[in-house]
Formats: sequence, structure tokens, C-alpha cells
Amino acid sequence: MSTTDLSLSFGGVHAVRDVTFEVDEGEVYSIIGPNGAGKTSIFNLISRLYEADSGNIEFQGEIISNLPPHNIARLGIARTFQNTELFEHETVLKNMLIGRHVHRKTILLSELLFLPGVAKQELRFRQVVEDVIDLLDLQSYRDQVIGSLPYGVRKMVEVARALCIQPKLLLLDEPSSGLNPEETEDVAFWIEDINQDFGATIIMVEHDMNLVTRVSNRVMALADGAVLAVGSPEEIQNHPEVLRAYLGD
Amino acid sequence: MRFVFKTKYRQDVDLFKHNGQRFWYGLLAIAVLLAPFILDSFYVGELALVYIYATAGIGLMLLVGYTGLVSLGHAAFLAIGAYVHAYLLSRGWPVPLSLLTAGLFTAAVGAIVGLPAMRMTGIYLAIATLAFAIIVEQVIAHWESVTGGYRGMLVPDAQIFGVDLSDGRPFYYLCLFVMIACLFAGLNILRTPTGRAMIGVRDSEISAQSMGIDLAKTKSIAFAISAGFTGLAGGLFAHKLGYLAPDAFTLLTSIQLLLMVVVGGLGSMHGVFYGAIFIGLLPQGIAIMRDTLPAAIGQMPGLEPGLFGLILVLFLIFEPLGIYGRWRKIRQFFDEFPLYRKSTHKRQKSYLRTERVR
Repeated sequence: MSTTDLSLSFGGVHAVRDVTFEVDEGEVYSIIGPNGAGKTSIFNLISRLYEADSGNIEFQGEIISNLPPHNIARLGIARTFQNTELFEHETVLKNMLIGRHVHRKTILLSELLFLPGVAKQELRFRQVVEDVIDLLDLQSYRDQVIGSLPYGVRKMVEVARALCIQPKLLLLDEPSSGLNPEETEDVAFWIEDINQDFGATIIMVEHDMNLVTRVSNRVMALADGAVLAVGSPEEIQNHPEVLRAYLGD
Repeated sequence: MRFVFKTKYRQDVDLFKHNGQRFWYGLLAIAVLLAPFILDSFYVGELALVYIYATAGIGLMLLVGYTGLVSLGHAAFLAIGAYVHAYLLSRGWPVPLSLLTAGLFTAAVGAIVGLPAMRMTGIYLAIATLAFAIIVEQVIAHWESVTGGYRGMLVPDAQIFGVDLSDGRPFYYLCLFVMIACLFAGLNILRTPTGRAMIGVRDSEISAQSMGIDLAKTKSIAFAISAGFTGLAGGLFAHKLGYLAPDAFTLLTSIQLLLMVVVGGLGSMHGVFYGAIFIGLLPQGIAIMRDTLPAAIGQMPGLEPGLFGLILVLFLIFEPLGIYGRWRKIRQFFDEFPLYRKSTHKRQKSYLRTERVR
């Protein structure tokens, strides 16, 4: 996955300026930066919710910056949202089953009649969902409606839903925001699990430097929409430009 | 209180969750099958009307309650279904074929109407569908060679498998059959990817998109299915009316249909039936009331639409979950007696962005 000279502006505000970066397969790649640096904008560009002014996004050698947003998931790119965007009135299970949508093989007519093939597909979907539930320990929430769950669990459910796509690339938008220290600790564990057991490449926007240092292979620091530095977590933490962007002169 | 002990994933897919449900729904099925032999023929006719409303209601519920798209134009779909069916019958088509064609044709119209819905939600969509309904009404009024214009159009007497449909009982069973077929189709949709895509569109378009759901396609399908079911109901409605005229399908009809799903309870198929019983019987109730009330109120023009509006507003304020929601609360009260607390269903203040009322 890579981007070249990606730019986006809203009126006079340059949210993303000529951002070029590359993420290797199997990597955990973190994007950090002060508020308004353009981190989430990059995510929204990758998932095609925003239209880039210029520049390309490439995934597995294919240019994806001209695809409609609903085709992105089909390629194996899943994401979560900063403030959770779950299907509020449905159960955890239903939410996760929606994550299987891209693997749908049945047509409308057979679904209207609920032919045996459709039923089999539902059971296959359920198998994958249960595997993800096991991985993230969500058993006790399976049949609960999202609206009644605490925030920390919702964040987990959102990750679970994304995993049901069985993505090759997972975009996590601030997985630890709003979580207590204990839950953040868990986040570190399951990021490692997802990366190693699931074999998914992860790009993560995150503010918690402890978490970033612990899980990421490489870190990119942004400020005002432009890349400041890319390197290992330690390098970035001591990088003079990065320190200036956070702390001022 | 019942706890269902699940041992197979298949149990979550099945329509009936446990044997208790099978028993009670079975009993209900026997009751509706025997009803025409027990009830007076007037009530059989009223019950058939309730089934027709329910058929349209299932379609509207899929659209409003599950996809989150408001339509004020469903009277138009009802009209299209009714006119297509009556026209084909007058050309000598057999009833099943004609009814099916009416449904499919209306579904196609619905899919086309659904296209602009890609870009519209909420009040704007309501206005657009309202405009569509007015256009259809005008087309029907002025396309005299086919529809008979304001003079109206006689629905030919029809036979199905050699039985005369103008008779109460065969018509009752036809309505029942169509309704149950639509109900199963609707429930099937809801337990498969298409139905979940609809729910996704309703709850969060952004995340539906990033889950790979094609918004335009999903909305269009929802409109098509909804219109198709309503078209079938329209075909049956034509038999019920006997004589079609444009003023049988006005804005009031659309509001009545919407009232049905809101009063019944949005987002549940049970609600459709409570709603259908409600609006099927309400005009009768009002008619009885007119006689007993003092003349100044009882003979007031516009009493019916006024009361419909009032009931809709009262439900929105006091019981947004409709009759079905109220029923669930009452059931929970007895399930948990004496532990039920009044605040269980109190609406909580919510601060998350996604919880705000859309």
C-alpha cells in the first residue's frame, strides 16, 4: 500500500499536502501528529470518503483512488472510526455479520426465497464471526444491542466488525481514544494478535505514544498536513522537527 | 421468563426461535384460516382489507423502518398496482399472472423512483416522493384512454381457478395468501445480506460504505421491493374497491400507510400487523363515533384526516416505538414482575455523535 503526492484541501485549508508514504505487507504503521495534522483525512482518502485533489493511492499494485467507496472493502481494506460508527439499533452479532457483506455470493431472488444456499452462506458467515468473537473475547456481548454497550466495548466491536471482512489491510483510527489505561493495555495485545495471527497489515492513527512505541514497526509524523519524518518509534520520539511540532520552539 | 438454550448456529437463522413460538403462530394460522367460516361476511371483508393494508405495510416497513427512507408517495404505488391489475384483467389476463405483473411493474417503477433517493434523505426525500405521488395522480386523471380519467375505471369481475373473486371467502384467502407470501419474503430479506445492508444504510451510511455496501443499489432495491409489495396490495385493493378513480389514492392514503407503520412500531414486522389492524378498523370506529357524538363535532368535515394526524402526533410524542413497543413493555413488566422498574425504558440522554436523532 502506498500513496504518492496525496493532497486534499477544504477551501483554503490544506488538510493534506503532498503526502507520500509506503506501508509494507505485514507491518504495523502508525501515523502521529498534533490535532488537525491531517491523520484522519488520510484515512478518509484511503477509504475514498474524500476525493483527493491530486495524487494517487495504490494497494497491491493497483490504483484505488478512482474506485467508488464501497469497492474498497472488497479489496480487503477495512477501517474503524474515531468516534465509532456502529449500527446502533442492532446486536453485536448483526453488526459483525454486516462485516461479511463483501463475501456475499447469493443474489436477491434466492434471498427472497431463502434457498438452501443462502442458509448455508449464513452459517459460513457465522463461523467466521465466531472466530473473531473468540479472538477479541466478545462472547458475553454477542446478543446485546450496541446502544446499550459501554464505549470501550463499542470500540472493540468496531474492530471486530472490521475483522469480519478478513482484511489484508486494517485502518485503525485512534483505537485507544476514550479507553482507560487497562483497556489500552488490551488494545496493544490484540493489535499484536491481529497482526500476527490474522496476518493483517495495520495502519493506525494514535496519540498514545506508549501504545505506538510498543506495537509499531514504523511511525510517520505529520504536522499541518505534511510529512515531518518517518522512522522507528524511537527515532521519531527524538526527532527535533517532531518535538517542535508538538511543543513549539 | 424463557431462556432459549442455543446449541446450533442454525437456531439464530431460523424464523421461529423456539417451540412456543411455533405453537402460538400455528394456532394463529389455524384461526385466520377458519375465520371466514365463523365470522359474519362483513367482518370477513374487513379482515381482507386489513390483510391488504398489511401487505402494503410490509413493503413500507422495509423501506421506512429498516432502510430509514421516508416515503409519502406510497399511495402512488398502490394506485399503479391497482390500475395495472385492473387494466390487464380487462384485457382478459388471468388473475395470478395479472397480479404478479402488477407487482413487478410497480417494483420497476419503485426502482426508478429510488434512484434520486441516493442523494436525498429525511424531509427532502419525503417531499420528492410526495411530488411523485402527485404526478402519478395527475397522470391517472388525464390518461383517459387507459385509466378512464376522473370518470373512473370498472374493475372486471374475475375468477381464480374457477372460483368467483367477488365472493367474500375466496377473496379473503387470496389476500391472506399474498400477505403471508410477502411476509415470508420480507422476513427472508431481513435475515440475509440484503436486509442487513438496508439496516446498515439506516444506521450509518458512512460505515455501511466502508463495509462494502453499495448505498445507491441498496436504496434502489429497498424502494423496488417496497413498491412491489405495495403494488400487489394495490391489485387486491382494486378488487376491494370495485371501481377505480384517482381520488381513491390521495395524499391521505399515503399518510394512512405511513401512520400504519409508525403507530404499529417502526423497525418490527409485528408492528405492521398492529398498524394494519389499527388503520383498517379506525375508519369504522370513526363512523360509529360520528353517530354518537353531538352533531357539531360528529358531522364536522375533515374529522377523519384530523384524527389520523392527531393520533400520529400523539404516538410520536408518547410512544415512538408504536403499539408493538408498548406491547413489549407490558410483556417485560409481567416477565420481570415484581422487579420491573419504570425507568427501564426511559430514554437516556446521549452524547455520542451517532446517537443523535437524525
